[in-house]
Amino acid sequence: MSQAAPARFLANDAYVTGLAYAPGVAAFALGDGTVKLVADDGGETVAAAHDGAALCLAVYGDGFVSGGDDGRLVRIGRDGSVTELLKLRGKFIEHVAVSPASGALVCAAGRDIFIIAKPGAAPAEPLSHRTSVTGLAFDPKGKRIACAHYNGVSLWWLASETATLLDWKGSHVGVWWHPGGDFVMTAMQENALHGWRLSDKQHMRMAGYPAKTKSMAWFSKGKWLATAGSEAVICWPFDGKGPMGKSAREIGPQGSICTVVAPHPNRDLIASGHADGSVWLTRFEDDKAACVRAPAATPVSALTWRPDGNRLAFGCEDGAAGILNFEGAAG
Amino acid sequence: MTEAAAIPVTVLTGYLGAGKTTLLNRILTEQHGKKYAVIVNEFGEIGIDNDLVVDADEEVFEMNNGCICCTVRGDLIRILANLMKRKGRFDAILIETTGLADPSPVAQTFFVDDDVRAKTKLDAIVTVVDAKHIAGSLKDAKEAREQIAFADVILLNKTDLVDGAALAETEAAIRKINPLAEIHRTTKSGVALDAILDVGAFDLDRILEIEPHFLEGSHSHGHHEEDVESISFDTTKPMNGEALTHWLRTTLTTKGQDILRSKGIFDIKGETKRFVFQGVHMLMDGDLTSPWKADEPRRSRMVFIGRNLDRDELKRGFESCIAA
Repeated sequence: MSQAAPARFLANDAYVTGLAYAPGVAAFALGDGTVKLVADDGGETVAAAHDGAALCLAVYGDGFVSGGDDGRLVRIGRDGSVTELLKLRGKFIEHVAVSPASGALVCAAGRDIFIIAKPGAAPAEPLSHRTSVTGLAFDPKGKRIACAHYNGVSLWWLASETATLLDWKGSHVGVWWHPGGDFVMTAMQENALHGWRLSDKQHMRMAGYPAKTKSMAWFSKGKWLATAGSEAVICWPFDGKGPMGKSAREIGPQGSICTVVAPHPNRDLIASGHADGSVWLTRFEDDKAACVRAPAATPVSALTWRPDGNRLAFGCEDGAAGILNFEGAAG
Repeated sequence: MTEAAAIPVTVLTGYLGAGKTTLLNRILTEQHGKKYAVIVNEFGEIGIDNDLVVDADEEVFEMNNGCICCTVRGDLIRILANLMKRKGRFDAILIETTGLADPSPVAQTFFVDDDVRAKTKLDAIVTVVDAKHIAGSLKDAKEAREQIAFADVILLNKTDLVDGAALAETEAAIRKINPLAEIHRTTKSGVALDAILDVGAFDLDRILEIEPHFLEGSHSHGHHEEDVESISFDTTKPMNGEALTHWLRTTLTTKGQDILRSKGIFDIKGETKRFVFQGVHMLMDGDLTSPWKADEPRRSRMVFIGRNLDRDELKRGFESCIAA
């Protein structure tokens, strides 16, 4: 089991709303509108990104992109420079997604999404939905974007700006696309998940979560899906035709509701953040779990690995954050 | 950081032209040193530098939670969650609804969503009515009746445009629908802020008295079906707690579509504390709160506000909960 090695802690004084890790630098989006950049060599830079709260963050090119409740979408350089990409009056930019495969960027504000086809391109005219967009997810190639909303998910082809609808009645509050491209999952307002197998639009429904699922991610080359929203980390099998008729595996600590999951990029090791502020690493194979951050004042709100999986960054609702270093740690 | 106290949320309803925007502007311009976030549906009518104004879309969503009349405001769930992430949070949040809006999805949002419940609390529903036009609206429009039925506080506004007799008649018509709300007669939405903010209308601990203001003639019958009316019961005999919660639950589950608001304070046999309950349609919230004082006469009293209410059946239900 990995041991928490030298760690770096940050005491921000605002909610950590998003986290992204580019090679060599981690970015923390904060409720005071700034994005704090922490380089692997220790250097800290604060980018004054938003007048309000930064609400969403993603890696973009060799830097980052963030959206805020000031209606701005900004590009953030590794040096902390801020360049405005979009400004909408009276709207929150709540979601942003970037495809590493195609370089395309999509952000959502209210019912509209805006596509920036490649870095440097101008935002396209907005594409509208009947209700607000509550989540975004690219397909693996970065040619399609899934937009969650009331009563389903719209799958847009970026090139032709045409959409197909995956429908399911109710309020969908987030969306995730399988890394093999075969499945789309949503989280529902009613503490349940919904999903579609894209080949035949077969539905899947996973209920019984005690809280809303706000985070999920596939691991083991897409064979398993780790989900938050319960005391344990609930893992659903996605090999073959999907999880229909199969049961889930519960792994990890059992004490406090899991608020965010982050599977390791290369190994079957799941990092999970919890409502009690703790962060755990659980080896999927034998369900062996280690606490790498002790319980603290507020829930963990963001969690992500450095792309090589050697460092794990976390952030909490009260602004407490840190980067744990597992370089050289034994498996 | 310790868990911050829940932020109070005030909902402003009322017809277009009744004076909601005037009221909002009054609240925002008054020198009170407080910081408000305002969620509006018509962006641009107000704009005060120090406060945050958010444009909402009034997205009413059905919940698949087994509660057949349960709708919530999906946009509010998201906006409130995002506002809570801002550094230097707000003293209060004000939500303005469109003129014809049904207030129940807004109120139900505060019962149904765990994240909203954890960080904010519904303080009161304030309805602004135009004293000159409300009488006509009450006859013709279901929305006008429901906005009054839902209110904890009513501003009977533009009183300078009607004479005293007409005003008394209008107030009686309002009382017939809602005997619980505080009514303030105003011109140009002029009212002391403490009359509409931090009222604690949904705070069980602050509901110490229920004094329905029934005006003469309010029990008249011969209403047509869509009439919203109120029914109240009281007794000085202690109630059976188990029977009471069962009856309240059953009544709201079966009749909750027609019961808009309900509220009660009960003397439960064997309990030193009062049992306080309140509901919005089928959703209810109830708890034992403060103890009865030694010299305080104990009694149980409750009010239903709704349409198609069967007074006799409700009365039988209430009386069946009196402890043997």
